[in-house]
Amino acid sequence: MRLAYIWITLLILGILIPAGFWYVDWSKSGDGAGLYSRDWLPEAVFAYWNPDDFYQSVETVVGKFEGEECVACHRDMSPGIVKDWQASRHAQAEPKVYCSACHGSDHQNLRLPTPDICATCHTTQHDQFMAEKRYGFPSHALAMERALDARHFVDKPKAEVTACLQCHSVATKCDSCHSRHKFSAAEARRPEACITCHSGPPHPDDETYFNSAHGQLYLQQGQDWDWSRPLQKGNYPAPTCAYCHMTAGQHQVADKSIWKFGIQQINPLSSGNVVKRQQWIELCSDCHEAEWSAQQLSALDRERKLAWSKLDEAEVLLKGLRADDLLSPTIHQRPPYPGDDAHTMLQRERIGFFEGQASAFYNVSPIERDYFDMWYFSNLGAYKGAAHGDASFVSKGHQAMDQQLEDIRQKVTDIRAAGKTRADKTDPENIWLQGEYTEYNREHN
Amino acid sequence: MLRLLCLLLCFAPACFAENREAMQGDFSHEECIACHQATEPQLVADWQQSAHASVEPLALCTSCHGRDHQGAAARSRGNDSCIDCHGGATSPVVHSYTTSKHGIIMQLEQAGYDWKLPLRQANYRAPGCAYCHMHDGNHLTAKAEPLKPAEADMDRITGSCLSCHSTRYINRLNDNAVDMIEIARMKVREARQLVDAYGDAQNTAAAAQLASLITQTEKHLRNVYLGAFHQSPDYQWWHGQPALDGDLLRIKGVIDNMQSGKSDVEK
Repeated sequence: MRLAYIWITLLILGILIPAGFWYVDWSKSGDGAGLYSRDWLPEAVFAYWNPDDFYQSVETVVGKFEGEECVACHRDMSPGIVKDWQASRHAQAEPKVYCSACHGSDHQNLRLPTPDICATCHTTQHDQFMAEKRYGFPSHALAMERALDARHFVDKPKAEVTACLQCHSVATKCDSCHSRHKFSAAEARRPEACITCHSGPPHPDDETYFNSAHGQLYLQQGQDWDWSRPLQKGNYPAPTCAYCHMTAGQHQVADKSIWKFGIQQINPLSSGNVVKRQQWIELCSDCHEAEWSAQQLSALDRERKLAWSKLDEAEVLLKGLRADDLLSPTIHQRPPYPGDDAHTMLQRERIGFFEGQASAFYNVSPIERDYFDMWYFSNLGAYKGAAHGDASFVSKGHQAMDQQLEDIRQKVTDIRAAGKTRADKTDPENIWLQGEYTEYNREHN
Repeated sequence: MLRLLCLLLCFAPACFAENREAMQGDFSHEECIACHQATEPQLVADWQQSAHASVEPLALCTSCHGRDHQGAAARSRGNDSCIDCHGGATSPVVHSYTTSKHGIIMQLEQAGYDWKLPLRQANYRAPGCAYCHMHDGNHLTAKAEPLKPAEADMDRITGSCLSCHSTRYINRLNDNAVDMIEIARMKVREARQLVDAYGDAQNTAAAAQLASLITQTEKHLRNVYLGAFHQSPDYQWWHGQPALDGDLLRIKGVIDNMQSGKSDVEK
């Protein structure tokens, strides 16, 4: 009898485990990419940001070319990239690293270089970069899969979400930071190298850093610093993005990450985070006393605790509305959550980080969107301000959160006072499910 | 007219001098035009046709080149000539460029560029405003019709990409940008149709809310457009598409409230 339990369990596992592997392989084998590759078709331009999945060589030029042959032709065809290359270390090296070393020599079968091509020579940096994956999200090395597997990326028309891949291609091409074809280390050390992606409402890294004492010093003097020097103690009078987040040029940004971009609540004093706090204190000790640095980290914890007390209150209010079926439109009156369809079982309004609300931009009711703006814009702005030492962004973010929370409280009171009339009302022309874009989105991904 | 003619005659020898950079002295806008009309009539005609010559405040020769003839061309090629009139550093049209990779490289390297070189053939590692919009010194600035660049202007601008980028890449980016902007327009049209169908001038509070949300959609549509053509992912996305989603659903929210208000009254 007992033997039968074991046999049956083994048999079920023996079927389920291979079936699971097969299913993941199958779902990744569509025309798109990532876990939901069967649900979408790529835009032609995606080839340049995710070359492994989508790039195909031009076939108009026939033949094999190497070294000076490429340069001779491209000097006229595309002088900009030849000038860039000539100014790069690739052209100064002995022997020179020519176009064909990275792109291949068969002109009908050219490559768009991905990090593994750069790894042919830059092994240490590539190893460090890949090793970053063990820290989980958010991360540079995992950025592309993060984008491809995001529900809203899968759901929305692909021409709409191009911007996602532009930034998330930091995982798939080294020239996000070392711009082609100069690939300068000095350029990547400058804070500006980061801000094409690290700017805007959810991650105002540019503004908060430039407003900080560190950033002010950089803005005043940075032009005169010697950027050819490694990011080490004594080489720079003030830290830059990479000085702190890529200590000593280590090609990892996620290794010391405690608050994980500020989008979720974490325990800053977990054993893992205590180690990271020590790493930060050690880093800051290039200029600051350990005690002072520890106080800064504690101040950040207090700011986060305050922010989350506001966010939690809003989230509880919204979940209360959901529990009483008072959200309008209801889950059945609104476009399905990205990736779901009308037949998905157990649908409900997704509220907060753990339910995946961050993928829903318009498949929500206005009050849920108010919470999203509070959480993703005001809160994250305050977080970046606190982490980068910009008090103006902290107070701006918290004032905005206070206002938004008060607004949500008021709306909840109004909705509760109106009672269920609205949610019960059957809307003959449901405006939430109709309209040019709403319908186009349903049909195109 | 007589005054201009006199001026032209006065400066005529200098105008035709072989090394024009060698010309010395300060000149007013009228003096510039008088001389350059003779030496480069096409350039003057191009400027006269451009928005710079018709939209107040006018961008006169001296606005970008300064009054001093020495180094006048080199002085005008940098972005500083453009930014102040185009809304300053924080205006979307400028900020979408300055946070793009082009803008970043320009900011880091401009001090080392040789600004005496003409705006063509990748003489500059990163393109500034004028490299694309006044490529090769063309003074008929490629006009950005509100949200809809004329095809000829688009061709001129994309032509300036090809010294560094492949035709295939630029075409694909362009096709993508056109589709991306069309999707943003769909959202704006959906918003407008809703307001047309359900808006109620009697309900002044709701009408004001709807009007302000419609203004927001226009702003966010423009951000998508600027983000797409200036290559700023941030403007395409955070300042653009999801912001439009928010406008759209808030418009629906206002209408939903108006409708349920009505049905309450009916009861």
